[in-house]
Amino acid sequence: MTFRVLDPTAEKAPPAGKLAPRLDTLEGKTVGFISNGKEGTKGFFKHLDQMLREEYGVAKVVSRTKSNYSAPADKHIVDEIKSWDAVVSGLGD
Amino acid sequence: MQLASRIYEANDISAVQELYHSSGWTDGLPIVPPTADAVQACLEWAMMPPDQLIGIEPVRGLAITAEKLAINAVMAGCLPMHFPVVVTAWMAMMQDEFLMHGATASTGGCAVLVVLNGPIRLELGANGTFNALGNSDRATAVIGRAIRLCLINLMDVRPGVIDRSTLGHPGKYSYCLAEDEEDSSWLPLHAQRGVERAASAVTVMAAGAPRQLMNEWTTKPEEILETFAAEMRANLRHYSIHPGNYALIIPKQLREHLQAAGWTKTDIAAFIHERARIHRREWAEVGKGAVVRDRGDSVYPAMESPDQLLVIAAGGPAGGFGAVIPPWLGNKSHAVTLPLGVCIDCEPPKK
Repeated sequence: MTFRVLDPTAEKAPPAGKLAPRLDTLEGKTVGFISNGKEGTKGFFKHLDQMLREEYGVAKVVSRTKSNYSAPADKHIVDEIKSWDAVVSGLGD
Repeated sequence: MQLASRIYEANDISAVQELYHSSGWTDGLPIVPPTADAVQACLEWAMMPPDQLIGIEPVRGLAITAEKLAINAVMAGCLPMHFPVVVTAWMAMMQDEFLMHGATASTGGCAVLVVLNGPIRLELGANGTFNALGNSDRATAVIGRAIRLCLINLMDVRPGVIDRSTLGHPGKYSYCLAEDEEDSSWLPLHAQRGVERAASAVTVMAAGAPRQLMNEWTTKPEEILETFAAEMRANLRHYSIHPGNYALIIPKQLREHLQAAGWTKTDIAAFIHERARIHRREWAEVGKGAVVRDRGDSVYPAMESPDQLLVIAAGGPAGGFGAVIPPWLGNKSHAVTLPLGVCIDCEPPKK
């Protein structure tokens, strides 16, 4: 007996975000950090901040922390992203 | 009724099982083949066209349609009569305050607890007595499983993909129970949470595994409830200090003492709210001294207010066993109660 059965998945990809243009260099750029606020993010971002400035010549690092580490970034953080050249969103787990 | 989902052909039942397992579409257990007839029967029972939009998952913007829920419900073993409960549970899960994405993706590894209230329990044969939190009956087994299969297939909540649970718990296969309304003088959960008592309703909660307790050595309400409060304090110490929705499962043997003394669910919640709280310094006693810092004297209640406690009458007739079901992570997710859609004079359409 042949079964004709249905696909249980969404079949459609979720609405895709559009990637920002890739940067040729980090030299002189502004990089934003979005932390989820967990304990492990502190050391990670501190080290990354230093590395980006000293080794890659990043001009400015802006650090922001989400108010709820399990939810998307707060609107005021998302709005601010436009003024950055690149973003690092790190998990602290 | 025109379904939109892609159709696969499989030569026999074994081939169906292998197709679904190898595609990552199951929870590891065999599924019921979701044929067009079976899926259409669910949609007809619920009087929904296949493309009816049940909701949009708020974080990733995923549209959830009736057809896709029905396919997964059939796979879980649901009959058409179970399907409206699955739909209502999903509508509840897609409310912003439930934070479905966070709750189902989190390393915390919670499951979606589904509580059934009202006449639908009796129509479906859902049993809130013996083995209430286990394999108590067909209806709660398949409804709970359908919730998980929908998460897996419609939101990619697969282990290591969106589901980042460290441990998870057995409720992630199925975590559904019916309240024992017949053998209780208390207001049922849905009525306590503002839904018309005569209606049927579904409550969803992002929930950890049940923590079982026992007290068969007293008839005093305060002593019985102190055991529940102590278990909640243990959760605040060992797991999470965040306040939020806790559920208490109170079986008949303990309920009878509380009810004989005139205690309502509101009285219970008020008592528990006072007793289920710890000082932050207690974390130092369980190896978490590093995060006490200068806030040792701060007091942390398990709930922000008594109405965050979900008191549920359920369990077999004998035994002083109760359970505390803790929240995934306090107020990051809130329990949601929705009534099942009702249609006066409606009958499921005849073929």
